[in-house]
Amino acid sequence: MTEVQVHSNLHKSAISDWWEGTRRTDIWWTLAWFDIVLRYRRSMLGPIWLTLSMGVMIGGMGPLYSSLFGTELSRFFPHLALGVIFWGFFSSIVTDACNAFVGSSNYLKQGYFPISLFVWRGLARNLIQFAHQIVLYIPVALWAGISLSWPVLWIIPAFLILIVNAHALGLLLGLICTRYRDVTQIVTSIMQMLMFLTPVFWLPESLPSRAKYVLWNPFAQLLDLLRTPLMGGVAHIHSWIGIGVWTTGCVTLAALLFIKYRRRVVYWL
Amino acid sequence: MASISLKNVSVSFPIYGAGSASLKKTLAASVTGGRFGKETGVTVVQALSGINIELRSGDRLGLVGHNGAGKSTLLRMLAGVYEPSSGEFTRQGSVASLIDPALGIEMDATGIENIMLRGLVMGMSKRQVERLTPDICDFSGLGEYVNMPVRTYSTGMLMRLAFSISTSVEADILLMDEWLSVGDADFTAKAEKRMKDVVAKSGILVLASHSPALIAKECNRVLHMEHGRIVEA
Repeated sequence: MTEVQVHSNLHKSAISDWWEGTRRTDIWWTLAWFDIVLRYRRSMLGPIWLTLSMGVMIGGMGPLYSSLFGTELSRFFPHLALGVIFWGFFSSIVTDACNAFVGSSNYLKQGYFPISLFVWRGLARNLIQFAHQIVLYIPVALWAGISLSWPVLWIIPAFLILIVNAHALGLLLGLICTRYRDVTQIVTSIMQMLMFLTPVFWLPESLPSRAKYVLWNPFAQLLDLLRTPLMGGVAHIHSWIGIGVWTTGCVTLAALLFIKYRRRVVYWL
Repeated sequence: MASISLKNVSVSFPIYGAGSASLKKTLAASVTGGRFGKETGVTVVQALSGINIELRSGDRLGLVGHNGAGKSTLLRMLAGVYEPSSGEFTRQGSVASLIDPALGIEMDATGIENIMLRGLVMGMSKRQVERLTPDICDFSGLGEYVNMPVRTYSTGMLMRLAFSISTSVEADILLMDEWLSVGDADFTAKAEKRMKDVVAKSGILVLASHSPALIAKECNRVLHMEHGRIVEA
Protein backbone atom coordinates (compact mmCIF):
# COMPACT_ATOMS: atom_id res chain seq x y z
CA MET A 1 0.00 0.00 0.00
CA THR A 2 1.31 3.45 -0.82
CA GLU A 3 1.98 5.85 1.98
CA VAL A 4 -0.70 8.46 2.18
CA GLN A 5 -0.95 11.39 4.47
CA VAL A 6 -4.04 11.37 6.65
CA HIS A 7 -5.05 14.44 8.56
CA SER A 8 -8.00 14.38 10.81
CA ASN A 9 -8.89 16.40 13.85
CA LEU A 10 -11.35 13.79 15.12
CA HIS A 11 -9.01 11.27 16.54
CA LYS A 12 -6.56 12.78 18.89
CA SER A 13 -3.25 11.37 19.91
CA ALA A 14 -3.26 7.72 20.87
CA ILE A 15 -2.96 8.48 24.56
CA SER A 16 -5.94 10.83 24.65
CA ASP A 17 -7.90 8.39 22.51
CA TRP A 18 -7.14 5.71 25.11
CA TRP A 19 -7.99 8.01 27.99
CA GLU A 20 -11.24 9.07 26.36
CA GLY A 21 -12.43 5.47 26.56
CA THR A 22 -10.97 4.86 29.98
CA ARG A 23 -12.48 7.82 31.76
CA ARG A 24 -16.05 7.07 30.67
CA THR A 25 -16.46 4.57 33.49
CA ASP A 26 -20.21 5.17 33.53
CA ILE A 27 -20.55 3.84 29.98
CA TRP A 28 -18.43 0.74 30.32
CA TRP A 29 -19.70 -0.22 33.74
CA THR A 30 -23.29 0.14 32.59
CA LEU A 31 -22.64 -1.87 29.43
CA ALA A 32 -20.88 -4.57 31.44
CA TRP A 33 -23.63 -4.61 34.03
CA PHE A 34 -26.27 -5.03 31.34
CA ASP A 35 -24.22 -7.83 29.76
CA ILE A 36 -24.57 -9.76 32.99
CA VAL A 37 -28.13 -8.75 33.86
CA LEU A 38 -29.48 -9.51 30.39
CA ARG A 39 -27.77 -12.88 30.22
CA TYR A 40 -29.58 -14.02 33.35
CA ARG A 41 -32.75 -12.00 32.97
CA ARG A 42 -35.02 -14.95 32.33
CA SER A 43 -33.55 -17.22 34.96
CA MET A 44 -34.92 -17.21 38.45
CA LEU A 45 -31.68 -17.15 40.40
CA GLY A 46 -29.95 -14.76 38.03
CA PRO A 47 -26.22 -14.19 38.50
CA ILE A 48 -26.31 -16.41 41.60
CA TRP A 49 -25.88 -19.17 39.02
CA LEU A 50 -22.30 -17.98 38.63
CA THR A 51 -21.73 -18.69 42.29
CA LEU A 52 -23.65 -21.94 42.31
CA SER A 53 -22.03 -23.56 39.30
CA MET A 54 -18.57 -22.65 40.54
CA GLY A 55 -19.47 -23.98 44.01
CA VAL A 56 -20.63 -27.29 42.57
CA MET A 57 -17.42 -27.63 40.60
CA ILE A 58 -15.11 -26.90 43.53
CA GLY A 59 -17.17 -29.01 45.93
CA GLY A 60 -17.07 -31.95 43.55
CA MET A 61 -13.39 -31.75 42.66
CA GLY A 62 -11.94 -30.99 46.08
CA PRO A 63 -12.37 -34.35 47.86
CA LEU A 64 -11.63 -36.35 44.70
CA TYR A 65 -8.41 -34.59 43.77
CA SER A 66 -7.11 -34.43 47.30
CA SER A 67 -7.34 -38.23 47.57
CA LEU A 68 -5.88 -38.64 44.06
CA PHE A 69 -2.86 -36.54 44.98
CA GLY A 70 -2.80 -37.93 48.51
CA THR A 71 -2.84 -34.44 50.04
CA GLU A 72 -4.64 -33.48 53.19
CA LEU A 73 -8.01 -31.96 52.31
CA SER A 74 -7.72 -28.96 54.63
CA ARG A 75 -4.53 -27.97 52.83
CA PHE A 76 -5.59 -28.88 49.32
CA PHE A 77 -9.13 -27.52 49.30
CA PRO A 78 -8.27 -23.80 49.62
CA HIS A 79 -5.52 -24.27 47.02
CA LEU A 80 -7.94 -25.85 44.57
CA ALA A 81 -10.77 -23.39 45.25
CA LEU A 82 -8.58 -20.34 44.58
CA GLY A 83 -6.93 -22.08 41.64
CA VAL A 84 -10.21 -22.84 39.91
CA ILE A 85 -11.77 -19.45 40.66
CA PHE A 86 -8.74 -17.48 39.47
CA TRP A 87 -8.25 -19.68 36.44
CA GLY A 88 -11.87 -19.14 35.44
CA PHE A 89 -11.25 -15.40 35.76
CA PHE A 90 -8.04 -15.48 33.66
CA SER A 91 -9.41 -17.64 30.91
CA SER A 92 -12.62 -15.71 30.57
CA ILE A 93 -10.66 -12.44 30.42
CA VAL A 94 -8.50 -13.85 27.64
CA THR A 95 -11.31 -15.36 25.59
CA ASP A 96 -13.45 -12.24 25.99
CA ALA A 97 -10.51 -10.13 24.89
CA CYS A 98 -10.59 -11.86 21.51
CA ASN A 99 -14.17 -10.74 21.03
CA ALA A 100 -13.83 -7.27 22.51
CA PHE A 101 -14.30 -5.43 19.21
CA VAL A 102 -16.10 -8.04 17.15
CA GLY A 103 -18.74 -8.25 19.88
CA SER A 104 -19.12 -4.48 20.02
CA SER A 105 -19.38 -3.91 16.29
CA ASN A 106 -22.95 -2.64 16.56
CA TYR A 107 -21.58 0.31 18.53
CA LEU A 108 -18.34 0.79 16.62
CA LYS A 109 -20.18 1.06 13.32
CA GLN A 110 -22.47 3.81 14.60
CA GLY A 111 -20.07 6.56 15.36
CA TYR A 112 -16.73 7.39 16.86
CA PHE A 113 -15.89 5.35 19.93
CA PRO A 114 -12.51 5.09 21.62
CA ILE A 115 -11.81 1.38 21.38
CA SER A 116 -10.34 1.14 24.87
CA LEU A 117 -13.92 1.55 26.11
CA PHE A 118 -14.86 -1.91 24.87
CA VAL A 119 -11.82 -3.54 26.41
CA TRP A 120 -12.79 -2.03 29.76
CA ARG A 121 -16.33 -3.25 29.21
CA GLY A 122 -15.14 -6.85 28.87
CA LEU A 123 -12.88 -6.51 31.88
CA ALA A 124 -15.65 -5.01 34.01
CA ARG A 125 -17.96 -7.84 33.01
CA ASN A 126 -15.37 -10.35 34.13
CA LEU A 127 -14.81 -8.49 37.38
CA ILE A 128 -18.51 -8.73 38.16
CA GLN A 129 -18.44 -12.47 37.44
CA PHE A 130 -15.33 -12.89 39.55
CA ALA A 131 -16.95 -11.08 42.48
CA HIS A 132 -19.75 -13.63 42.37
CA GLN A 133 -17.29 -16.48 42.53
CA ILE A 134 -14.59 -15.34 44.94
CA VAL A 135 -17.13 -15.20 47.79
CA LEU A 136 -17.01 -19.01 47.73
CA TYR A 137 -13.53 -18.81 49.14
CA ILE A 138 -14.77 -17.34 52.43
CA PRO A 139 -16.45 -20.53 53.71
CA VAL A 140 -13.58 -22.62 52.35
CA ALA A 141 -10.98 -20.53 54.19
CA LEU A 142 -13.00 -20.59 57.40
CA TRP A 143 -13.42 -24.35 57.19
CA ALA A 144 -9.73 -24.91 56.52
CA GLY A 145 -8.81 -22.57 59.38
CA ILE A 146 -6.62 -20.24 57.32
CA SER A 147 -5.31 -17.31 59.33
CA LEU A 148 -4.42 -14.15 57.48
CA SER A 149 -2.11 -11.40 58.65
CA TRP A 150 -0.50 -8.31 57.11
CA PRO A 151 1.22 -10.05 54.19
CA VAL A 152 -2.24 -10.59 52.72
CA LEU A 153 -2.02 -6.96 51.57
CA TRP A 154 0.31 -8.14 48.79
CA ILE A 155 -2.90 -9.11 47.05
CA ILE A 156 -3.46 -5.41 46.24
CA PRO A 157 -0.39 -4.86 44.02
CA ALA A 158 -0.89 -8.34 42.57
CA PHE A 159 -4.44 -7.52 41.61
CA LEU A 160 -3.37 -4.21 40.06
CA ILE A 161 -0.83 -6.09 37.95
CA LEU A 162 -3.60 -8.43 36.89
CA ILE A 163 -5.77 -5.49 35.77
CA VAL A 164 -2.91 -3.90 33.82
CA ASN A 165 -2.17 -7.18 32.09
CA ALA A 166 -5.80 -7.89 31.40
CA HIS A 167 -6.28 -4.50 29.79
CA ALA A 168 -3.10 -4.69 27.71
CA LEU A 169 -3.91 -8.22 26.60
CA GLY A 170 -7.44 -7.09 25.80
CA LEU A 171 -6.22 -4.41 23.41
CA LEU A 172 -3.61 -6.73 21.93
CA LEU A 173 -5.80 -9.77 21.38
CA GLY A 174 -8.81 -7.66 20.48
CA LEU A 175 -6.91 -6.02 17.62
CA ILE A 176 -5.27 -9.20 16.39
CA CYS A 177 -8.40 -11.33 16.60
CA THR A 178 -10.47 -8.76 14.73
CA ARG A 179 -8.03 -8.81 11.84
CA TYR A 180 -7.26 -12.55 11.88
CA ARG A 181 -10.33 -14.42 12.94
CA ASP A 182 -8.55 -17.77 13.43
CA VAL A 183 -6.49 -16.39 16.29
CA THR A 184 -9.53 -16.67 18.54
CA GLN A 185 -9.51 -20.46 18.02
CA ILE A 186 -5.76 -20.64 18.60
CA VAL A 187 -6.07 -18.68 21.83
CA THR A 188 -8.93 -20.86 23.07
CA SER A 189 -6.96 -24.04 22.59
CA ILE A 190 -3.80 -22.58 24.10
CA MET A 191 -5.79 -21.57 27.18
CA GLN A 192 -7.12 -25.10 27.50
CA MET A 193 -3.63 -26.51 27.39
CA LEU A 194 -2.28 -23.90 29.81
CA MET A 195 -4.88 -24.86 32.37
CA PHE A 196 -3.02 -28.14 32.85
CA LEU A 197 0.43 -26.57 32.69
CA THR A 198 -0.49 -24.09 35.42
CA PRO A 199 -0.73 -25.28 39.03
CA VAL A 200 -4.49 -24.84 39.11
CA PHE A 201 -5.21 -28.31 40.43
CA TRP A 202 -1.80 -29.65 41.38
CA LEU A 203 0.62 -28.32 43.96
CA PRO A 204 3.76 -26.66 42.59
CA GLU A 205 5.85 -28.43 45.27
CA SER A 206 5.02 -31.81 43.77
CA LEU A 207 6.81 -30.86 40.56
CA PRO A 208 10.17 -32.65 40.04
CA SER A 209 12.93 -30.04 39.87
CA ARG A 210 13.72 -30.62 36.19
CA ALA A 211 10.12 -29.74 35.34
CA LYS A 212 10.21 -26.44 37.25
CA TYR A 213 10.42 -24.51 33.97
CA VAL A 214 6.67 -25.03 33.76
CA LEU A 215 6.35 -22.34 36.41
CA TRP A 216 7.83 -19.73 34.04
CA ASN A 217 4.44 -19.50 32.42
CA PRO A 218 3.03 -16.05 33.26
CA PHE A 219 -0.28 -17.49 34.34
CA ALA A 220 1.47 -19.68 36.91
CA GLN A 221 3.32 -16.63 38.23
CA LEU A 222 0.22 -14.49 38.37
CA LEU A 223 -1.65 -17.28 40.08
CA ASP A 224 1.13 -17.57 42.66
CA LEU A 225 0.98 -13.82 43.32
CA LEU A 226 -2.77 -13.86 43.80
CA ARG A 227 -3.27 -17.18 45.53
CA THR A 228 -0.43 -17.38 48.02
CA PRO A 229 -1.29 -14.23 50.02
CA LEU A 230 -4.88 -15.40 50.37
CA MET A 231 -3.64 -18.66 51.81
CA GLY A 232 -1.55 -16.94 54.43
CA GLY A 233 1.76 -17.29 52.60
CA VAL A 234 4.15 -15.04 50.74
CA ALA A 235 4.54 -15.35 46.98
CA HIS A 236 7.82 -16.32 45.40
CA ILE A 237 10.13 -13.46 44.42
CA HIS A 238 10.62 -15.15 41.03
CA SER A 239 6.95 -14.65 40.33
CA TRP A 240 7.26 -10.89 40.87
CA ILE A 241 10.27 -10.65 38.58
CA GLY A 242 8.76 -12.88 35.93
CA ILE A 243 5.47 -11.09 35.86
CA GLY A 244 7.24 -7.72 35.78
CA VAL A 245 9.06 -8.72 32.60
CA TRP A 246 5.92 -10.17 31.06
CA THR A 247 3.85 -7.07 31.89
CA THR A 248 6.41 -4.74 30.37
CA GLY A 249 6.45 -6.74 27.15
CA CYS A 250 2.72 -7.04 26.99
CA VAL A 251 2.06 -3.35 27.60
CA THR A 252 4.69 -2.28 25.07
CA LEU A 253 3.31 -4.51 22.35
CA ALA A 254 -0.27 -3.49 23.11
CA ALA A 255 0.70 0.19 22.99
CA LEU A 256 2.46 -0.23 19.64
CA LEU A 257 -0.49 -2.01 18.05
CA PHE A 258 -2.94 0.44 19.60
CA ILE A 259 -1.09 3.46 18.26
CA LYS A 260 -0.89 1.99 14.78
CA TYR A 261 -4.21 0.25 14.32
CA ARG A 262 -6.75 1.75 16.70
CA ARG A 263 -8.68 3.46 13.93
CA ARG A 264 -8.28 0.59 11.47
CA VAL A 265 -10.29 -1.82 13.60
CA VAL A 266 -13.60 -0.58 12.24
CA TYR A 267 -12.48 -1.47 8.73
CA TRP A 268 -11.88 -5.06 9.82
CA LEU A 269 -15.22 -5.63 11.46
CA MET B 1 -19.58 27.07 15.51
CA ALA B 2 -20.02 23.98 13.38
CA SER B 3 -17.92 23.27 10.35
CA ILE B 4 -16.87 20.35 8.22
CA SER B 5 -14.03 20.36 5.78
CA LEU B 6 -13.01 17.50 3.50
CA LYS B 7 -9.99 17.89 1.27
CA ASN B 8 -9.37 15.18 -1.29
CA VAL B 9 -10.67 12.51 1.07
CA SER B 10 -10.73 8.85 0.10
CA VAL B 11 -11.97 5.80 1.92
CA SER B 12 -11.04 2.33 0.76
CA PHE B 13 -12.11 -0.91 2.37
CA PRO B 14 -10.00 -3.99 2.39
CA ILE B 15 -12.38 -6.92 1.94
CA TYR B 16 -11.09 -9.84 3.95
CA GLY B 17 -14.24 -11.94 3.81
CA ALA B 18 -13.12 -13.76 0.70
CA GLY B 19 -10.67 -15.96 2.53
CA SER B 20 -7.80 -13.73 3.44
CA ALA B 21 -8.71 -12.92 7.04
CA SER B 22 -7.27 -16.34 7.78
CA LEU B 23 -3.89 -16.48 9.41
CA LYS B 24 -3.16 -19.79 7.68
CA LYS B 25 -3.27 -18.21 4.24
CA THR B 26 -1.26 -15.18 5.26
CA LEU B 27 1.40 -17.42 6.79
CA ALA B 28 1.42 -19.71 3.77
CA ALA B 29 1.85 -16.68 1.58
CA SER B 30 4.77 -15.31 3.55
CA VAL B 31 6.52 -18.67 3.84
CA THR B 32 6.15 -19.58 0.21
CA GLY B 33 7.26 -16.19 -0.98
CA GLY B 34 3.81 -15.24 -2.09
CA ARG B 35 3.22 -17.95 -4.69
CA PHE B 36 0.43 -19.48 -2.68
CA GLY B 37 -0.57 -16.05 -1.59
CA LYS B 38 -2.22 -15.01 -4.81
CA GLU B 39 -5.60 -15.60 -3.31
CA THR B 40 -4.75 -13.45 -0.32
CA GLY B 41 -4.29 -10.45 -2.58
CA VAL B 42 -6.75 -8.35 -0.62
CA THR B 43 -9.59 -6.95 -2.66
CA VAL B 44 -9.84 -3.27 -1.98
CA VAL B 45 -13.09 -1.47 -2.55
CA GLN B 46 -12.69 2.21 -3.20
CA ALA B 47 -15.80 3.47 -1.44
CA LEU B 48 -15.01 7.17 -1.67
CA SER B 49 -12.39 8.94 -3.69
CA GLY B 50 -11.27 12.53 -3.99
CA ILE B 51 -14.11 14.06 -2.01
CA ASN B 52 -13.94 17.82 -1.42
CA ILE B 53 -16.63 19.40 0.71
CA GLU B 54 -16.72 22.58 2.77
CA LEU B 55 -19.68 23.11 5.07
CA ARG B 56 -20.44 25.79 7.63
CA SER B 57 -23.32 26.60 9.90
CA GLY B 58 -26.57 26.98 8.06
CA ASP B 59 -25.65 24.54 5.30
CA ARG B 60 -28.19 21.85 4.53
CA LEU B 61 -26.50 19.36 2.27
CA GLY B 62 -28.43 16.74 0.34
CA LEU B 63 -26.65 13.65 -0.98
CA VAL B 64 -28.20 11.86 -3.91
CA GLY B 65 -27.06 8.87 -5.91
CA HIS B 66 -27.72 5.22 -6.68
CA ASN B 67 -27.44 2.41 -4.16
CA GLY B 68 -23.78 1.85 -3.48
CA ALA B 69 -22.75 5.29 -4.67
CA GLY B 70 -21.08 5.98 -1.33
CA LYS B 71 -23.69 8.11 0.43
CA SER B 72 -23.84 6.05 3.59
CA THR B 73 -20.09 5.59 3.70
CA LEU B 74 -19.70 9.35 3.46
CA LEU B 75 -22.18 9.81 6.33
CA ARG B 76 -20.35 7.23 8.43
CA MET B 77 -17.05 8.88 7.73
CA LEU B 78 -18.49 12.24 8.78
CA ALA B 79 -19.78 10.57 11.95
CA GLY B 80 -16.23 9.43 12.73
CA VAL B 81 -16.68 5.70 12.19
CA TYR B 82 -14.15 5.43 9.40
CA GLU B 83 -10.99 7.40 9.43
CA PRO B 84 -10.23 8.46 5.85
CA SER B 85 -7.62 6.33 4.09
CA SER B 86 -6.15 9.51 2.67
CA GLY B 87 -6.88 13.19 2.57
CA GLU B 88 -7.69 15.77 5.16
CA PHE B 89 -10.82 15.79 7.30
CA THR B 90 -11.60 18.38 9.92
CA ARG B 91 -14.81 18.75 11.81
CA GLN B 92 -15.97 21.06 14.54
CA GLY B 93 -19.06 20.73 16.67
CA SER B 94 -20.99 17.92 18.27
CA VAL B 95 -22.48 15.27 16.03
CA ALA B 96 -25.77 13.40 16.15
CA SER B 97 -26.09 10.53 13.78
CA LEU B 98 -29.54 9.31 12.81
CA ILE B 99 -28.07 6.85 10.34
CA ASP B 100 -29.65 3.74 11.81
CA PRO B 101 -31.45 4.54 15.07
CA ALA B 102 -32.52 0.96 15.77
CA LEU B 103 -28.93 -0.25 15.83
CA GLY B 104 -27.80 -1.25 19.28
CA ILE B 105 -31.24 -1.76 20.82
CA GLU B 106 -31.02 -4.61 23.33
CA MET B 107 -34.00 -6.87 22.83
CA ASP B 108 -34.02 -8.32 26.34
CA ALA B 109 -33.72 -4.97 28.09
CA THR B 110 -36.74 -2.86 28.89
CA GLY B 111 -37.55 0.40 27.16
CA ILE B 112 -36.23 2.43 30.10
CA GLU B 113 -33.00 0.44 30.17
CA ASN B 114 -32.56 0.95 26.46
CA ILE B 115 -32.96 4.68 26.93
CA MET B 116 -30.12 4.58 29.47
CA LEU B 117 -27.89 2.43 27.25
CA ARG B 118 -28.44 4.46 24.10
CA GLY B 119 -28.23 7.76 25.96
CA LEU B 120 -24.84 6.88 27.46
CA VAL B 121 -23.55 5.60 24.16
CA MET B 122 -24.65 8.83 22.46
CA GLY B 123 -22.36 10.64 24.87
CA MET B 124 -24.70 11.81 27.63
CA SER B 125 -23.93 11.40 31.30
CA LYS B 126 -26.07 9.19 33.50
CA ARG B 127 -27.68 12.21 35.11
CA GLN B 128 -28.54 13.80 31.79
CA VAL B 129 -30.17 10.58 30.63
CA GLU B 130 -32.16 10.31 33.83
CA ARG B 131 -33.39 13.86 33.38
CA LEU B 132 -34.43 13.23 29.78
CA THR B 133 -36.01 9.82 30.39
CA PRO B 134 -39.54 11.03 31.31
CA ASP B 135 -39.65 13.22 28.19
CA ILE B 136 -38.48 10.39 25.99
CA CYS B 137 -41.01 7.95 27.47
CA ASP B 138 -43.71 10.52 27.10
CA PHE B 139 -42.85 11.32 23.52
CA SER B 140 -42.64 7.68 22.49
CA GLY B 141 -46.21 7.21 23.68
CA LEU B 142 -45.45 3.68 24.77
CA GLY B 143 -47.11 4.10 28.16
CA GLU B 144 -46.60 1.17 30.48
CA TYR B 145 -44.71 -0.70 27.79
CA VAL B 146 -41.52 1.20 28.62
CA ASN B 147 -41.09 -1.17 31.54
CA MET B 148 -41.42 -4.25 29.35
CA PRO B 149 -38.60 -5.97 27.48
CA VAL B 150 -38.21 -4.60 23.98
CA ARG B 151 -38.61 -8.06 22.45
CA THR B 152 -42.32 -7.82 23.28
CA TYR B 153 -42.68 -4.68 21.14
CA SER B 154 -44.08 -4.58 17.65
CA THR B 155 -41.84 -3.22 14.89
CA GLY B 156 -43.64 0.11 15.00
CA MET B 157 -43.21 0.43 18.76
CA LEU B 158 -39.54 -0.41 18.48
CA MET B 159 -39.07 2.29 15.88
CA ARG B 160 -40.93 4.79 18.06
CA LEU B 161 -38.64 4.09 20.96
CA ALA B 162 -35.52 4.29 18.81
CA PHE B 163 -36.73 7.49 17.20
CA SER B 164 -37.58 9.14 20.52
CA ILE B 165 -34.17 8.35 21.97
CA SER B 166 -32.09 9.40 18.99
CA THR B 167 -33.88 12.69 18.46
CA SER B 168 -33.69 13.69 22.13
CA VAL B 169 -30.24 15.24 21.88
CA GLU B 170 -29.34 18.47 20.21
CA ALA B 171 -26.21 18.63 18.14
CA ASP B 172 -24.38 21.06 15.92
CA ILE B 173 -24.11 18.57 13.09
CA LEU B 174 -26.94 16.24 12.14
CA LEU B 175 -26.33 13.25 9.89
CA MET B 176 -29.29 11.41 8.41
CA ASP B 177 -29.81 8.53 6.06
CA GLU B 178 -33.31 9.08 4.71
CA TRP B 179 -35.92 11.02 6.63
CA LEU B 180 -37.12 9.16 9.67
CA SER B 181 -40.82 8.49 9.55
CA VAL B 182 -42.26 5.97 11.91
CA GLY B 183 -45.41 4.66 13.45
CA ASP B 184 -49.06 5.25 12.86
CA ALA B 185 -50.68 8.44 11.58
CA ASP B 186 -50.71 10.15 15.01
CA PHE B 187 -47.11 9.44 15.73
CA THR B 188 -45.97 10.34 12.23
CA ALA B 189 -47.35 13.84 12.65
CA LYS B 190 -45.60 14.19 16.00
CA ALA B 191 -42.38 12.75 14.63
CA GLU B 192 -42.48 15.05 11.67
CA LYS B 193 -42.67 18.07 13.97
CA ARG B 194 -39.85 16.74 16.13
CA MET B 195 -37.66 16.14 13.07
CA LYS B 196 -38.26 19.71 11.92
CA ASP B 197 -37.24 21.02 15.35
CA VAL B 198 -34.10 18.94 15.48
CA VAL B 199 -33.13 19.95 11.97
CA ALA B 200 -33.85 23.60 12.71
CA LYS B 201 -31.66 23.54 15.81
CA SER B 202 -28.70 21.90 14.12
CA GLY B 203 -26.03 24.03 12.52
CA ILE B 204 -25.29 21.66 9.66
CA LEU B 205 -27.51 18.99 8.17
CA VAL B 206 -26.26 16.24 5.88
CA LEU B 207 -29.10 14.17 4.48
CA ALA B 208 -28.77 11.23 2.12
CA SER B 209 -31.97 10.40 0.32
CA HIS B 210 -33.49 8.85 -2.76
CA SER B 211 -36.34 11.30 -2.74
CA PRO B 212 -35.73 14.38 -4.90
CA ALA B 213 -38.78 16.07 -3.38
CA LEU B 214 -37.42 15.72 0.16
CA ILE B 215 -33.99 16.99 -0.84
CA ALA B 216 -35.53 19.94 -2.64
CA LYS B 217 -37.59 20.75 0.45
CA GLU B 218 -34.95 20.40 3.16
CA CYS B 219 -31.63 21.20 1.57
CA ASN B 220 -29.97 24.26 0.17
CA ARG B 221 -27.06 22.40 -1.43
CA VAL B 222 -27.07 19.12 -3.34
CA LEU B 223 -24.25 16.78 -4.23
CA HIS B 224 -24.73 14.00 -6.71
CA MET B 225 -22.59 10.95 -6.06
CA GLU B 226 -21.62 8.11 -8.35
CA HIS B 227 -19.11 5.31 -7.69
CA GLY B 228 -17.73 7.06 -4.65
CA ARG B 229 -17.15 10.36 -6.41
CA ILE B 230 -18.96 13.63 -6.50
CA VAL B 231 -20.13 14.05 -10.08
CA GLU B 232 -21.97 17.33 -9.90
CA ALA B 233 -22.49 19.88 -7.22
